[in-house]
Amino acid sequence: MNANRVMVALFGAWIAFEIVIVVVVFIFVLDEEPPPTVYVRPTPLPIEPTPTPEPRIGPTAAELRSRGLDVLPPVTMPDDNPLTAEKAELGKILFFDRRMSGNGFFSCASCHFPNAGWGDGNALSLGYPGTLHWRNSQTIINTAYQSKLFWGGEKTSLEAQAKSAWTGNIAGNLDPIMAEETLRQIPEYVERFNEVFGTGSPTFGDALRAIAAFEATVNSQNVPFDIYLRGNQDAMSDAALRGAGLFIGKARCIEYHGGPLFTDQGYHNTGVPKNPDFETDPLRQITLRYQHRARGVPEEVYRSADRDLGLYYTTKQDVDKGKFRTPPLREVGQTGPYMHNGVFETLEEVVEFYNEGGGDDPNLDPLVRPLGLTADEIGDVVAFLESLTGDAIIIQAPDMPEYAVMGP
Amino acid sequence: MSVNRKLILTVAAILVVAVTMAGLAAWSSASVEGGAMPSGLNSPAPASLSAAPTSVEELGRLLFHDGRLSGDGSTSCATCHDPNNSYADGKPLSDGYSRGNLYFRNTPTLLNASRMPVYDWDGRFAQGDLATVVRDHIAEAHFMNLDGRLLVERMRQVPEYEDGFKQHFGSEVSYGKVLNALVAYLQTLESSSDNPYLAYTVGDTNALSSQARRGMELFEGKAGCVQCHSGDLLSDGRFHNLGVPDNSQIFEDPQRHITFRRFFRMFGVGEYVTMRDDPGLYALTANDADRGKFRTPSLLEVARTAPYMHGGVFDSLREVVEFYNAGGGSSSNKDAALRPLGLTDTEIADLVAFLESLGSPVEAEPEPDLPAYQPRTLGVN
Repeated sequence: MNANRVMVALFGAWIAFEIVIVVVVFIFVLDEEPPPTVYVRPTPLPIEPTPTPEPRIGPTAAELRSRGLDVLPPVTMPDDNPLTAEKAELGKILFFDRRMSGNGFFSCASCHFPNAGWGDGNALSLGYPGTLHWRNSQTIINTAYQSKLFWGGEKTSLEAQAKSAWTGNIAGNLDPIMAEETLRQIPEYVERFNEVFGTGSPTFGDALRAIAAFEATVNSQNVPFDIYLRGNQDAMSDAALRGAGLFIGKARCIEYHGGPLFTDQGYHNTGVPKNPDFETDPLRQITLRYQHRARGVPEEVYRSADRDLGLYYTTKQDVDKGKFRTPPLREVGQTGPYMHNGVFETLEEVVEFYNEGGGDDPNLDPLVRPLGLTADEIGDVVAFLESLTGDAIIIQAPDMPEYAVMGP
Repeated sequence: MSVNRKLILTVAAILVVAVTMAGLAAWSSASVEGGAMPSGLNSPAPASLSAAPTSVEELGRLLFHDGRLSGDGSTSCATCHDPNNSYADGKPLSDGYSRGNLYFRNTPTLLNASRMPVYDWDGRFAQGDLATVVRDHIAEAHFMNLDGRLLVERMRQVPEYEDGFKQHFGSEVSYGKVLNALVAYLQTLESSSDNPYLAYTVGDTNALSSQARRGMELFEGKAGCVQCHSGDLLSDGRFHNLGVPDNSQIFEDPQRHITFRRFFRMFGVGEYVTMRDDPGLYALTANDADRGKFRTPSLLEVARTAPYMHGGVFDSLREVVEFYNAGGGSSSNKDAALRPLGLTDTEIADLVAFLESLGSPVEAEPEPDLPAYQPRTLGVN
């Protein structure tokens, strides 16, 4: 009996000791955060049901890069025309100088003005006074990256493009010798050309180089797409990100608008409808026929000319009728209206046009076919296109240097 | 039926009745007057054809006044050769094209110009090639600055011109036909038989005052003018250096100097940068003996065409006569025939009176209404 009591007492004491130990451990040990190597936090019991992973809104920067869409590299210039600040500054003055035109009243900036995205904001460009142009004025922004210029891709350098624009009868109507002699009676030009090119007097060729240098400084700034690609996840809206996915996917824009410039720099016929101005405006009709004559098409093509034939003027191949150079999409948010003849006012119209499979043309590119985008998807593609647009690049027209008769 | 629909039907009905009645009226009047119409026009011509210029010369006259023959539409032939300014501009130096291409020589009158043996102050165009003179003026950067292909397409956009060329040349407009129409008009620009000097030469002795007749004797005698101002046009068609001072504006006004330099550079004059005189005929021949020589101008309309000389440096005929009386100007290359004439003040006045008889009566010429551009059917060119 007594031994049993002792056993019970001992057991009770042991239990009490255990309780004290547990309490002490609770108070003094578990109260402090143990070093992780010692203690592994148990998985907490879920309070709510586990959320399914959030669906990805659009492609990541890495995915876009893997599809060839990227930020632009630094501008490169031709070997015979290295870019310098002084040359670009000279080009800027020339760009705004109205004396560099046949009638002394029309500068590059007359059709490429900074406040209109460096185009002119019209469906069809103004053209030289007394004429009306037949194509949409294209932006100057990022042109240094392009391997082909003009809607028909007729020129392959900025220098050559500037020559065509200055001397073309529907554009600058400028005689190059008159231009040189004009520059030589403006002392500031003589000085600047001499500093930049080391020649005694300005030449037309150097003026073209200076224009090209200036244009090479007019490039996209602060583009949401570029900022996104550099790692800022918030740079593009959800709609723009969804649009990016469509751009490289269902909408298939990337097939011709790939690469950092968003163009394949190729030629395609997408069946863009005629601009109705050509039906009614005598000055546009004059220019249309003049272009056919000036570009040397066969007589029957001139006689039936009713639209811009694009690449055909260069190749004279029927299959190239109605093909135009794929325009870059960077800055497209500030360069409306769209297409070679400005027939679409808004990006929505452009995307809807492609969604319906382009226009009606016997030479229609086979890759242009209905896309089946919903209205929301169209909005998303437009949002993406707008995210390719950076800040407006506004610069003040420089002061024009004055004439003075130079000594012999 | 809505009010709108009623209104539309009523208007349509009125229009149908009105058009029918107008058609009937036109048909009946055509039947009545048909016999009086010139042959070939008996059948009603399309409206545009009936508005076409009635002759090549009239077509040329319209083109002469049409600024669309210049690059920016600002400058017609008549801008510098104004019919109401004796087919010149009355300025010492021509304004050239639009703004910014000021020219460096005086605008000569076009009266009798087509009959001259050579054209322009430096004779750079030969007789019989008036169309080339016109072409030069349309195409030159400092005159009208228009591309020939663009010119043709502009003409094709004006129905009256299209029809005019078809009627008078037998086929559609071309650059050559535009030039020829203008030449046809230029050939009509002649002195009138009422020009006192011309009337006198055909027997109207009262056409010249006694003072003018005394001046004519001096012209042919003591003053020696006739040595160079001979023949029907009172010009020998040759080139002489008189030592006429240049117009300093050529070297003082940058815009004129630019045009001056470009012109001589295009002519291959090596020293065009350092030149400080207008070299005249030398630009064509590169012969030092031709430096400063200019074509003897016709005097038939000289009373009406001040200012005078290639640079327009003399405002009045008296200044011109005094210049010759002093033996001309100074130039190492001056014509040996020029020497002081020793004319008295009275003789100078007589000579000026004679020169003032050289001018047809001024008749105001109204500016023609020019036909407008019209849209064409696209694709039917």
